Amino acid sequence: MTASSRGAGAGRVDGQLLKQALLGSLAWLGAHQEEINRLNVFPVPDGDTGTNMLLTLQSAIEDIRESQAAEVSKIARIAAHGSLMGARGNSGVILSQIFRGFASAVQDKAELDPGQLATAFEEAANAAYRAVSKPTEGTILTVARQAGRSAAGAAQQPGATATSVMKAAAAGARSAVERTPTQLKILRDAGVVDAGGYGLQIMLEGMLRSVEEVEDELSPLMPGRPAAQVTLDLPEEGWGYCTEFLIHGDELDVEGIRDEIEALGNSVLVVGDPELVKVHVHTDDPSRVITLAARHGRLDRLSVGDMSSQHQRIRDQADEADGADEVVPVPAAPAPPAELRPNGIGLVAVVSGPGLVEIFRGLGVDEIVEGGQTMNPSTQDMLEAVERLPYGRVILLPNNKNVVLAASQVGGLTKKTVDVLETRTSPQGIAAMVAFHPERSADENVAAMTEAARHVQTIEVTHAVRDSRSNGLTVRKGDVIALINDRLEHAGKEYESVVQAALNGVGAGDYELVTIYRGQQATDSQAERLTASIRGDFPDLEVEVQSGGQEHYPFILSVE
Amino acid sequence: MFRVVTDSTSDVPPEWCQQYGIEVVPLRVLFGEESFRDRVDLSTDEFFARLRQADRLPTTSAPSPGDFATVYERLSHECDGVVSIHISGELSGTVEAARVGASSVEGFPVHVIDSRCLTICVAYLCRAAAEAATLDEAVARVEARVPRQRILALLDTLKYLEMGGRIGRAQAMLGSMLDVKPILGVADGRVTPLDRVRTRAKAIPRMLERLRQDLPVERLAVMHAQAPADAERIRAQLAADLPDVEVEVGEIGAVLGTHVGPGAVGLTYITR
Repeated sequence: MTASSRGAGAGRVDGQLLKQALLGSLAWLGAHQEEINRLNVFPVPDGDTGTNMLLTLQSAIEDIRESQAAEVSKIARIAAHGSLMGARGNSGVILSQIFRGFASAVQDKAELDPGQLATAFEEAANAAYRAVSKPTEGTILTVARQAGRSAAGAAQQPGATATSVMKAAAAGARSAVERTPTQLKILRDAGVVDAGGYGLQIMLEGMLRSVEEVEDELSPLMPGRPAAQVTLDLPEEGWGYCTEFLIHGDELDVEGIRDEIEALGNSVLVVGDPELVKVHVHTDDPSRVITLAARHGRLDRLSVGDMSSQHQRIRDQADEADGADEVVPVPAAPAPPAELRPNGIGLVAVVSGPGLVEIFRGLGVDEIVEGGQTMNPSTQDMLEAVERLPYGRVILLPNNKNVVLAASQVGGLTKKTVDVLETRTSPQGIAAMVAFHPERSADENVAAMTEAARHVQTIEVTHAVRDSRSNGLTVRKGDVIALINDRLEHAGKEYESVVQAALNGVGAGDYELVTIYRGQQATDSQAERLTASIRGDFPDLEVEVQSGGQEHYPFILSVE
Repeated sequence: MFRVVTDSTSDVPPEWCQQYGIEVVPLRVLFGEESFRDRVDLSTDEFFARLRQADRLPTTSAPSPGDFATVYERLSHECDGVVSIHISGELSGTVEAARVGASSVEGFPVHVIDSRCLTICVAYLCRAAAEAATLDEAVARVEARVPRQRILALLDTLKYLEMGGRIGRAQAMLGSMLDVKPILGVADGRVTPLDRVRTRAKAIPRMLERLRQDLPVERLAVMHAQAPADAERIRAQLAADLPDVEVEVGEIGAVLGTHVGPGAVGLTYITR
């Protein structure tokens, strides 16, 4: 896609140019998705920064594709909303804050001159820093800040244009990315640059490419196709019609609109600001919802889906496949409990792996958000799960260090009160669920669950996807590696010796119980051998084996 | 003068029966066609031995009103009144049978009290009653202690409670794929979940923590069902942590054993 000549190389950025630039960044990021994924510091198979950023960006762009808005403020704001809802992973959340900062800086402008564009880049970086409680240099934050500074420098040059500013931003990003290994030892040891920072560099380069009149060699990329597409599309809960649309207006009363919509259906999501509101609701009477909403402003991107037929379609496909290939059955939600929980608290957990899903349900989790293969759930995925519950107070367990940040965004998007536990692994989440008490208050539960999660040690076992050096450990591609509480600590040639080293590493002799969660890749005999080996090495430890069914990690062990 | 009557689920030590003249009306355990009076026809060891071999779970049944009427009738010739203290009416029909039995003995005061609890806590209530000077004082002493009873029970499995239908609010703990150990209590006369832990070893410190919060106590016992080593471990821990508190160790009877299953161990006490 070559740049249209509208505004290219010229002074000002309007809405359509911004849109074009974002589409360009999407294409270029799509082209580099796998490369970014492979920049994961640890040589683990579920590197997902590239995918997360791509999906977040797709979400940002979804609603602007059709838009003809001329004002840059409008385009920026729609993109910010989209990225907020679609944010996945830490990198996705920070990216959504970058969009937010940018949109905030341009909120009253129809067009940007070079100086205003540079200011917007700087404000985007500031917003990114604010989003992180402990900002670290050598990450996407540093890259964003350098991009902003370089843009500001270029804007002050005589004859500066939007293109020259973007070019400087991209160049600033690139040099900052190259410097990241000097700022973070962990990158230096692993021999990689920071993945999130590189992703931002690619995005800025993509934006530049689309506004420069430059042929893009790689350009006919598939901007819309995410890798490893395994969104386990659970059939939507509820009856009737899934109704979604945007309302454009002036002085829209978001709270008021939400109250109205809440009376008409369930799984209600109403987010936005006085000029743009996004609505999602499951209702028996979509025309009533639409008529009501249309009184507030102009409706856009309307979609109404018959949920019972969607559900039926999925079931038909499953039925057809019977006798053909193995079909992964869609995990059915349990029958809703006859009574609500006495303490009025709902439980949502992010879980991957059918066995782990069953375990979490068995411990009382009401809604499961499937993490999926290499994909982390978006803020919206978790928000929808929270809204589906018949409870006003919700405890949310992310169970993955890369989901915690996106989970922390959910509370701000719902009227419900959401407590996010910082569980970073499945065993931590399980320990937390064991400590949950259906008759104690939310505060007491959060305290007990947090404490329980703290005491369990997690050992994740997988195979290195590339050579790597970290923590003084030299790892060859294919080696068995063990991460203890998210840090790569042991490597070797076979499971038994690596797990033994890991168990010794956590002082397993002081604990009582090891639970092995078997992943999809682990065979029966591998599991048996590992179990026997652990029992032999640690005769005082109880060893339990559970089917986890998780991908990428043949064995996840909890030690408690 | 008055006498104290209770049922076999109170796990009252035989010495107290002798010392205080406490009458115990037995419940029944049924293995198929065979019916045994709890602690009379069947010792606890014999019961658990049979339980291991039985292919179907035994059931339990409350004494009949007639069983109570017989005892009250006899006592009416020996004393001026009776206080009759029994296992929670939410868990057994025993107290109701006692009420009906009492109503058929004319002109003799029988004060039936629902302990809202079970096992040795009820025995403690009996002793408190027996130490009173008058029937009215006995009733008052018992009623004052009813809300001060505590049970902290660690079960090996919930399946006996579930199959026996007494699981109450601990229902919420069912359905776990993981082997999770429940710590249960009694509230409003019913079984209630207190806590969940992954290992027995974690359970004991958790139970002791709760006990510490309830100090001081008037009476304290460690009760168990075929788990003498665990009971001893707890007793030793208590002796070390709370040297000023007297701790008894006892075994629960067959009727309760049917409902909690072997391996159960618990702290039972009355707060001061």
